[in-house]
Amino acid sequence: MRLFRNNPWLLLLPALLFLILPSYGLATAILESLRGTDGFTGEHYETLFASDRFTASFLFSIRTAFIATVLSLVAGVLLTRTFSGYLEKNIPRLSVWLPMVFPHLVWGYIIILLFAETGLFSQLLVSLGWIGSTNEFPIWTRDSNGIGIILTYIWKEIPFVILMLFPVYSAIPRSYYDLVETLGGSRWDQFKTVELPRILPVLLEIFLIIFAFTLTAYEVPALLGTTFPEMISVLSYQWFYSGSFEDRPLAFAAMTGTSFLIMLGALAAYLYLNRKRMRAMRGRL
Amino acid sequence: MTIQVERLSKKFRIDQVLNSLSFKLEAGEKMSIVGPSGSGKTTLLRILAGLEIPDQGTILLEEKDVTRLSARQRNIGLVFQQPLLFPHMTVAENIAYGAHMNGKKTESTVKDLLAAINLTEAAAQFPAELSGGQQQRVALARALAIEPEILLLDEPFSSLDPNLRQDMRYWVRDLLDKRGITSIFVTHDREEAMLMGDKIGVFHEGTFQQFATAEEIKLNPRNPFIVEFFDHHMLLNDQQFVHIQDIQFSEPSGPCITYEAELLQTTFRFSERVAHLYVKEFDEKITLPTPDDGLSKHIELYIPKDAVQHFQSDGKCNDEQ
Repeated sequence: MRLFRNNPWLLLLPALLFLILPSYGLATAILESLRGTDGFTGEHYETLFASDRFTASFLFSIRTAFIATVLSLVAGVLLTRTFSGYLEKNIPRLSVWLPMVFPHLVWGYIIILLFAETGLFSQLLVSLGWIGSTNEFPIWTRDSNGIGIILTYIWKEIPFVILMLFPVYSAIPRSYYDLVETLGGSRWDQFKTVELPRILPVLLEIFLIIFAFTLTAYEVPALLGTTFPEMISVLSYQWFYSGSFEDRPLAFAAMTGTSFLIMLGALAAYLYLNRKRMRAMRGRL
Repeated sequence: MTIQVERLSKKFRIDQVLNSLSFKLEAGEKMSIVGPSGSGKTTLLRILAGLEIPDQGTILLEEKDVTRLSARQRNIGLVFQQPLLFPHMTVAENIAYGAHMNGKKTESTVKDLLAAINLTEAAAQFPAELSGGQQQRVALARALAIEPEILLLDEPFSSLDPNLRQDMRYWVRDLLDKRGITSIFVTHDREEAMLMGDKIGVFHEGTFQQFATAEEIKLNPRNPFIVEFFDHHMLLNDQQFVHIQDIQFSEPSGPCITYEAELLQTTFRFSERVAHLYVKEFDEKITLPTPDDGLSKHIELYIPKDAVQHFQSDGKCNDEQ
């Protein structure tokens, strides 16, 4: 134990060991995306950025991931602030967090069962006489707008947002709300002054986690997406496993570019949050 | 600004927190509400601030009925037990917050209040950089920035250490006097109540057991609860009491009553030796000044018969004073 006390870097060993696999994957992807027939080259990136299919896929992925993430956050914040008192009890808290146990794929199938043209809601509306036949039900799964993907992610990520926000809301002293009220503030002022400064760092962290995941996860868009435009993960998978070895570096380039974008976003968020934290805690440092 | 409270009642399930409480405070007057912990003092303050709605009764601010108005519509300032400063705002931003909410001029108000609380230099600092006393001063300035008609203070010094608490009492009292602010100060500390209020409302069982000046409470306690709550007297029975200074360690010349007491300890208070005694007959502990450090374990206390006093009213204090 003395060895660990004398050299704190050794304490990082488990984390570094854990990082070996993803780091190896990332390094290999970067290398493969830059490897040409005659050594290193940027031609795969040039091909990638010139590809209409990639541009459409990239924009569709960013848009879908952004909408899913923002709607999950908004719904999560509304639910947490409305039911934070109720969530102190074990059973309501468990019921909110239970959906996290199930994989995304299961949720994807549930969305198909509920929202497909022949799904439960469609049949229900037909039996109620609200629509003439199931053909009149809007296309919400395997659609070109990514509604099915967004619905799946919202449903799956809201519990995660609640899980992250609940401890923050529990720690806010109720007197702060009374204080704002006695100073003449409205409910919006209470949210803006009391809640937002506390939840903003957590919201930003949750945004990054969910956005990075929804942008790059494969199974849900593969199940609920359409053939064009496809999410970037699906496109990369197709390039990687397509018969042509020439497409494989494009898959590496696409995923390397996406990873770079996510890391850039994470760094910007970290710097912003750190500035905020330093500002509020200046006296304690 | 005058505040008049008439027959205010509030019940939480079976707990009658306020029981037809009435009082009136003239403009610029300072009132302390003192009572045991958990007696409902804070609930009374929350009702006055508009954070709770009473079951019955009315609250008049300068003849205007504000009973059903929400806190944001009342223009009543409230200083809480904790400073509750917004950690992400500077001292100046914290003070300006309330004034800004109410659409009042902020710049001159903040400058004036920063000078009043002696924290002009700390305007750009964050709450975490201030001491507990400084934070509470900022909280007070923030409450004053909305130019409240009445200022309510809910044990604002309870989280401070004793020396700082004493300094803050004088400082706040002085500030309220200078600005002529009508204020209601809630505390469970008897000395603090005397210091912060021109009048003291002794709160117990949902009502004021006595609403009077500190002098009046000392001279004429209204009922046994007042006698037991303050240290000025010894309760003899439900009808009679005696002032502490009339209790003697040696037999007086005239007719007197004698009680046996056990000496528990001697300590010092305000440079004067005091004896802590247990009077077996009343099962009561009292503290008496004594010049003598040679008191034996078992002593006799003598009360001249003409020093025994009787409670003069029905014991309740529900009506407007």
